[in-house]
Amino acid sequence: MNKLFLVAALMVPAFAQDARQIMVDVQKRQHSDSQRYEGTLEVTSGNNQLTTKRWIYQRIGSFGNSKAILRFTAPAEVKGVGLLIVNHPERASDQWMWRPAIGRDQRIALQDRSTRFFGTDFSFEDLEERDVDQYEYKLLADEGASWKIESKPRKSSQYEYSYFWVQKEHYNLIKIEAYNKKGLMRVIDYKNHESIKGIWTPRLTEVYDVTRKSRTILKYEKLEYNLPMKDEDFTLQALRRDL
Amino acid sequence: MMDAGALMLLAFLGQQFEQRGFIENRTVAYPQTAPNDSAHVVDEMLLREEASYKFTPWFTLSGAFDARTDSHRQTARDGVVDADDRSILRPALSLRRLSATVHKGKVTAEIGRQFIRWGKTDILNPTDRFAPKDYLSSVVDSDFLGVTAARFTVESGGNTVDLVWQPWFTPSRTPLLNQRWTALPAEAAGLPLRDAGAVYPGGSQYGARWNHVGSGYEYSLCFFDGRQNLPSFDAIFTPPDFSIQFTRTYPQLRLYGGDAAVPLPWLTIKGEAAYFTSSTPGAEEYALYVIQLERQVKEWSLVAGYAGSVVTRDVASPLQFAPDRGFAKSFVGRAGFTIDANRSLAMETAVRADGSFVRFEYSQLYGQHWRATGGVAWIRGDMTDFLGEYRRNSYASLAIRYSF
Repeated sequence: MNKLFLVAALMVPAFAQDARQIMVDVQKRQHSDSQRYEGTLEVTSGNNQLTTKRWIYQRIGSFGNSKAILRFTAPAEVKGVGLLIVNHPERASDQWMWRPAIGRDQRIALQDRSTRFFGTDFSFEDLEERDVDQYEYKLLADEGASWKIESKPRKSSQYEYSYFWVQKEHYNLIKIEAYNKKGLMRVIDYKNHESIKGIWTPRLTEVYDVTRKSRTILKYEKLEYNLPMKDEDFTLQALRRDL
Repeated sequence: MMDAGALMLLAFLGQQFEQRGFIENRTVAYPQTAPNDSAHVVDEMLLREEASYKFTPWFTLSGAFDARTDSHRQTARDGVVDADDRSILRPALSLRRLSATVHKGKVTAEIGRQFIRWGKTDILNPTDRFAPKDYLSSVVDSDFLGVTAARFTVESGGNTVDLVWQPWFTPSRTPLLNQRWTALPAEAAGLPLRDAGAVYPGGSQYGARWNHVGSGYEYSLCFFDGRQNLPSFDAIFTPPDFSIQFTRTYPQLRLYGGDAAVPLPWLTIKGEAAYFTSSTPGAEEYALYVIQLERQVKEWSLVAGYAGSVVTRDVASPLQFAPDRGFAKSFVGRAGFTIDANRSLAMETAVRADGSFVRFEYSQLYGQHWRATGGVAWIRGDMTDFLGEYRRNSYASLAIRYSF
């Protein structure tokens, strides 16, 4: 009996180390110096009303040390609305939103990041790219084709913990269940993976908001990696150039 | 049939050209008449088109154009395209923006008619000096006017320096004397009033602003030298017809100001303050400040704060139109609630010692293009109070917008 406990006690740190290593590998295989895509978002509200939005997303740098600008292109009334995300390796990102209608940028405070982003089921926090070192990981199960990993944020987050499912073949993240103190908040499914420039990439992300019973499907179009981009196009000044 | 070259050219042009616009009809119903305005319903229609063309990755030409009309003779009836927006009436056709933007490395230059917004608070922006407003049809719900200026911005790390030179003055547009948003003093009752227009100052205006963004805070310092874009009125009694003739003048103004935003664990604190001096005899000198707290909780967005003022050079009964100072000494709050992707609610209020204003709005998107916004505003108070003097202007409104 004591021997069994000893084995179990030894296995926990070994599993923890493995989980982190898996996530390091996921991050390594997803690495690119830049990314650009045009996204179509289909938001289905709890009462089954469908709204379609489109944005263009551009990122320079990679996990934990990157900058991204996301700009709505449709529908017409939100065209030009933008979000600048500056990700940091050691802390949560800085975010600013630009609204052409008022001609001002607004800093999104850390405590406001759980708010839904412009009528989608993504929260502002979901749009960050945090470095692997900002989480603690634990391998919960080997489910054959995938691993189930528990992730707990070390820094401030709306989520208490999340479960990640990582596909073994290409180290793709295929599903996240995110929990707060009250229970399950969001389910994110990454689907239709394709290799683009050697990076296995989902062509579709589905976010389900458990509380509101609403769903956002993000389809990635014209997705490209490692395009030449300039730092000067990821600043507050660049965010303000909306048209 | 088009040849391949023409198709490629069209595709190229399409990638460089961006546009957005809307057409909106807004109907405002006032249950009460005002002493100088017997209308109960005012209807306004606006077509706005904004476009830009990117000639190169670093050079963009941007323009915006308004075409409007209304049922209340607030908009000029001629077909002249107004390029400087200084008229007493709203122009029927106006060039809202026409500017060239060049950005290279850390430097951005924008030259031409453009919008410049300074400040961080939402309730009132004492430092926002290059942003005149159109108050013609409402003092509590106004739109910004563009200014003709050259603006140079240098951004390096967390620091941004903004230099602005405005060669031509653009005033805020004030309500008409014969309409309800001009609150006339009791002494003027029964007297014929004549609008003698404005005396626009010559000379240029300039300003500089330094903004610093830190990891958990932002602040800025700014300076402005130019003219107050809100008018003072010279009133002349003209014996032949015993009328009072009003002429708008614009006092010299110098501003020293700053703003800051600090996100704390539970809410964000924002503050903005400016001290105004003037070399114009008879003009007041004063400080305006705003402190506000904001928080977003799930679908709720909440802002509450206080706007205050301190007068350092007082002038007896100046005849002026000053909604910025009118909203000072007010507790102000805003709340927004997003019902779902298509529907939202908003509430806005300002409470002063002797007057108050509260507005509720419900907005709904239909499909991809149509939006309807219905609202009710209630204004109460004493005639001696800035808000109270508009107590007969409580209204209900409905705006239908088609965006394209």
